[in-house]
Amino acid sequence: MLTDFGIILIFFIVGMVFVAAGLITNMILRPSHPNKVKQSTYECGEEAIGSPWILFNARFYLIALAFLIFEVELLLLFPWAVVFKELGWFAFIAMLIFAFILLLGLFYDWAKGYLDWDKPEPIIPKMKDLVIWNKD
Amino acid sequence: MAIGLNHYLIVSAILFALGIFGIITRKNAIMVLMGLELVLNSANINFIAFSKFGGLNIEGHLAAIFVIILAAAEAAVALAIILNIYQNWRNINVDEIAKMKE
Amino acid sequence: MIDIGANFVSELYKSLGMFIPETVLVVTFVVAIIMDLIFRKYKNIAAFTVLAGFFVTGYTLFACNSSGYAFSQTIAINPFSQFFKFIILLTSIIIVIISFLSKELYAENRKVGEYYSMIAGMTFGMFLICSSTNLILIYLALETMSLSSYVLAGYTKEVKRSSEASLKYVIFGAISSGIMIYGISIIFGLTGSFDLLAINAKIATGNLSIAPLLVSGIMILAGIGYKISAAPFHFWTPDVYEGAPITITAYLSVASKAAGFAVLIRFVLLAFATPISQTQPVWQVFAGIDWKLVLAILSVLTMTLGNLSAIWQTNIKRLLAYSSIAHAGYMLMGLVIMTSAGVLAILVYFFMYMLMNLGAFYIVMLIANKTGSEEMDDYIGIGYRAPILAGCMVVFLLSLTGIPPTAGFIGKLYLFMAVIDARWIWLAVIGVLNSVVSLFYYVKVMRNMFIRGTDKTEEPLQFSRVSIVIALILAGANIYFGLWFEPIVRWVNECVKSLF
Repeated sequence: MLTDFGIILIFFIVGMVFVAAGLITNMILRPSHPNKVKQSTYECGEEAIGSPWILFNARFYLIALAFLIFEVELLLLFPWAVVFKELGWFAFIAMLIFAFILLLGLFYDWAKGYLDWDKPEPIIPKMKDLVIWNKD
Repeated sequence: MAIGLNHYLIVSAILFALGIFGIITRKNAIMVLMGLELVLNSANINFIAFSKFGGLNIEGHLAAIFVIILAAAEAAVALAIILNIYQNWRNINVDEIAKMKE
Repeated sequence: MIDIGANFVSELYKSLGMFIPETVLVVTFVVAIIMDLIFRKYKNIAAFTVLAGFFVTGYTLFACNSSGYAFSQTIAINPFSQFFKFIILLTSIIIVIISFLSKELYAENRKVGEYYSMIAGMTFGMFLICSSTNLILIYLALETMSLSSYVLAGYTKEVKRSSEASLKYVIFGAISSGIMIYGISIIFGLTGSFDLLAINAKIATGNLSIAPLLVSGIMILAGIGYKISAAPFHFWTPDVYEGAPITITAYLSVASKAAGFAVLIRFVLLAFATPISQTQPVWQVFAGIDWKLVLAILSVLTMTLGNLSAIWQTNIKRLLAYSSIAHAGYMLMGLVIMTSAGVLAILVYFFMYMLMNLGAFYIVMLIANKTGSEEMDDYIGIGYRAPILAGCMVVFLLSLTGIPPTAGFIGKLYLFMAVIDARWIWLAVIGVLNSVVSLFYYVKVMRNMFIRGTDKTEEPLQFSRVSIVIALILAGANIYFGLWFEPIVRWVNECVKSLF
């Protein structure tokens, strides 16, 4: 007799076995001749530069925080949307006010310039730096 | 053996304990926040489980929604404060940020 | 189930009518932000908007006489909540006014628009706390208040001390609120409701198991105790109070504590106790858990720890932080005995506490503006360099100690009388002993100001006339309410009656 947990356990085991079996058969069947080019990371034909394990720029956090406002807004909008017809105008206006206050948050970010990705000034190489033979 | 209320309560208790454990042992402020999320979500599991199995009304679901929202708001404020800490101290190790001590 | 229909909407309209002060506060908050964005040239535009909003709120608060429940029984509007709202609003107004004079806030050409709008937001949260009778709403309101206060504590964000304060505040605060919501979830499972009265009815039947109830009750008390900085949940207080801008320290020590006490009194009396009879103003705890003893332990721990740690402090903000912990301990005594006299004493005490604590922090702020220091050693000779302010400070410190004829004396008098009347003699004895200890460190400040270092001849400090007038008003109020306290007591009496 299988319980609810039992079914889950079987799914779990079958999944593991399936993946493992596929990988192991591949490993046995395939020829193995590794070389440097084969093992390098492939990125659209570009040559890979540096390690992929970099720290993300802290400015992403600011965008993430702004995103958070609207992500969570959805959570409150869904229950409202389900009973939208029954609640009528009162709730509609209440939700408009709610959305307005959230929008104000976005406008605040915008007006204060937190949405601007402040790029460092690009250093444009001057001609005289490039032309080496002029120096002497 | 069907999955009943007790299972949910045990899972939530484990989550709560893990969260508190994380809060106490971790030094990185972001990790502490993660522990905190576990604590809040353990409360959420409780709310939903009680709502479903206790034959209670919709209030439990309502509470869970509010908790999720507050967790997000709190995380936003905490992250902003941690960013500021990083700018001032160049690290976010909770133990090292202790200038004021007698 | 909530029924959706015309009935529901008409009830909402009725509720909104009772919710006007809070609505005004939200509008103030939004308008202050918009004004700050539009008129960037005028630095204090948000401040004036908020101040105007507070006055309108005050007007609506007085105009709104109706009492009852609103929003499907989640909000109780009654004189008890009105009293705390009044205290909070008054504190907010005073804080906004003295913030204009704060040097550290305006240093380095800082933008202060958000500061004032955050104060409006925090006031809104505290208003909600004062009147909520539903655990979820209590949690929501506590968070609304806390989120603003986390930001405010670190408002001077390039100051290392201030950013450290806000980090500690946010992490400890979030943990305590997380523990509180877990407690709420357990109590929801036990009783099947968030409504305090429904919880009360369920506990009254007596067939709930004791252990989960005790655990969840203590978890919720931890969340609230954090806000009033009761030991053992007080450890954040000294650091946050020292690091935050002084105006915010004063605000946290009065307003957020007032909100905490409002919800604590309501929660304990409504959920865990029942009036013995309609005529007798005494509450009785339900059989099973002796909440009185739990609260008594909290109270004794809080005042003793606060007072004993205050003795060793060298920073005056830190000293006042510990002293405010001790005061929370005294006020908890009034709740332990669970009589209406006790609650009355808490409210009277709180009114007086607001006057003296705001005054003391105000003087500290003024002196820090000039000397740039909050160390006790830098107070040597202040009595001669700034005699008027030092005189006011003496009044505030005497008031904090509880020496007649100051306001603090009246607060302590009512408190100890209530405790002795309820036959909690040992608690009263500990309270009095603690007051004696507190005298020691308050006198230390006075001694530094007047007696030590009289030979030093430093030039007198110059203060603007406005700042001196405000100090004199606060000091005068401390003495005035120490002598003519009947109106306050009569008013508070009305408020306490509404708790039954």
